[in-house]
Amino acid sequence: MADLSAPALSVPAAPVLSPRRPAVSAIAWAVGPALLLFVVFFILPFGVMALLSVLTGNPAIQSGVTFTAQHYERFFEDSLYFEALVATLRIGAITTVASLVIGYPLAHLMARTHSRIGHALLLMAVIAPMLTGIVVRTFAWMTLLQDRGVINTTLLSWGLISSPLKLMYNEFGTIVALVHIYVPFMVLTLTGVIGRIDERLEQAARSLGANRTRTFLEVTLPLSLPGILAGSLLVFALSISAYVTPFLMGGTDVLTLPMLIYQQVGASFNLGFAGALGVVLLAVSLIVIIAYNNVLGRFAGGEKMA
Amino acid sequence: MSARPDAGHIAYLAVNGAIITFLLAPIAIITVFALNPTPYISFPPVGISLRWFEKFFSSPEFMGALWLSLQVAVVVLVLSMVIGGLCALALARGNIPGSRVLTAFFMSPLMLPAILTGLALFQLYLLLDIGRPVWGLIMGHTLVAVPYVLRTTLAVLHNFDRRIEEAAAVHGASPARVFFEVTLPLIRPGVFAGGIFAFIVSFDQFPISLFLVMPQGETLPVVLFNYMKFDLDGAIAAASMVSILMAVSVVVILEKVIGLKSYVKL
Repeated sequence: MADLSAPALSVPAAPVLSPRRPAVSAIAWAVGPALLLFVVFFILPFGVMALLSVLTGNPAIQSGVTFTAQHYERFFEDSLYFEALVATLRIGAITTVASLVIGYPLAHLMARTHSRIGHALLLMAVIAPMLTGIVVRTFAWMTLLQDRGVINTTLLSWGLISSPLKLMYNEFGTIVALVHIYVPFMVLTLTGVIGRIDERLEQAARSLGANRTRTFLEVTLPLSLPGILAGSLLVFALSISAYVTPFLMGGTDVLTLPMLIYQQVGASFNLGFAGALGVVLLAVSLIVIIAYNNVLGRFAGGEKMA
Repeated sequence: MSARPDAGHIAYLAVNGAIITFLLAPIAIITVFALNPTPYISFPPVGISLRWFEKFFSSPEFMGALWLSLQVAVVVLVLSMVIGGLCALALARGNIPGSRVLTAFFMSPLMLPAILTGLALFQLYLLLDIGRPVWGLIMGHTLVAVPYVLRTTLAVLHNFDRRIEEAAAVHGASPARVFFEVTLPLIRPGVFAGGIFAFIVSFDQFPISLFLVMPQGETLPVVLFNYMKFDLDGAIAAASMVSILMAVSVVVILEKVIGLKSYVKL
């Protein structure tokens, strides 16, 4: 990744070959502070993480540290770790699909609400939860889903159930809370895409005799596919890295890669193995992020990323 | 949408009503528990009291954490506005080759697992043997806050007419004067909006903080998390209310300052 930054610093005065591209201007130097921040506190630390994952110990405090593949061997040999990876991906996938199903209708409503106040209110409803911390939101779901929580108490008092449903300390509770945390990202991504679909296409389909469902399935849905893909990749990338929610909502039933990583640092203090687990999670994330940027780049026609 | 009330449209609105309830009910329910005087989280509420707010605001542990979180968030706000604002200008106006890839790179802390950023920084600081200083935590937060400023500022930069700057230059303004009298006032709302996001992102930040805080100097989310592992009482709800009220005021301020729409232009 460091290579990407090189041209930004080395080119300013150089003549530019492409006739379409104007010369690099002096303002390009303003990227400096950000570049410095990212090199020192982003690329360097990830390099250290990768390095420690192939060392037998910490070279700063130990002597005789050598290169080793032991941490990666441990990951692939013990089925516990591989199962944690599978669980992480499974929870991520289910969270993504659920977020799509829940996010799409709301995104559609937002994109089709043209009154300024209505739109602002819907946006607030989506962004307010987003700005509430994950710890706080996980707490909210604990009060709702635990044995003596709001849902179980209410169902019991109505006589609909005779004993509390097991709604948390399992994968179900984890996924419910994760969907709540990440669905806003899905909605915001989808809204942008659906909003850019020309409504006249839908009207044309309707006037040619297609009913609402068919118009949706054959016009709106295919046209919003880039948004569906981008939103899904975003939610997947975010949910596989969740730590707080699986930890508090999953109880002993759920073990994900981020939980294992913190365990290795907090309890076992095995930095090398934590690094190896980190590299595995990083590899999965990078694949997803590159796919996301491709989708976004293709969709925006290379015009803008932000 | 047409106003004609047919079954399909009613179902559409009902589904959306349910989704909005799903989004907002968990946040609303916290209010109930923050005001309910029973010693443990229980439902339905039996009354209204402020005892949990009293407990929260009189606990040195919570107050210390709240104070630290606020201080860190303010520094992160300033740092990320300067770094992110400059970076956005360079990316939008510098004609940097490959600026699209560079932008994606600067946005990547948002998508990379924050817990890995925390782990990586923790390992770096350990290797350098510098302990866990507060500035180290601040730099970690700034790293994930800069993309927000970048996004809002780039959105503003892409929207405004570059010819305004060119007109000023043609009429004899120096590049510095163009910058301070034309460009800066125009991008200010974008930078501010990003800064407000940066503040709230830092205030709520958990995974990076988890690795980088000292046992005696924890930020509010870390203290809440550790408390929740053992105890679920109204103090957590009261603390949550404080952070929700902060988020809500931020949303309202944002809408006033710049309009939420510009943030959403992903």
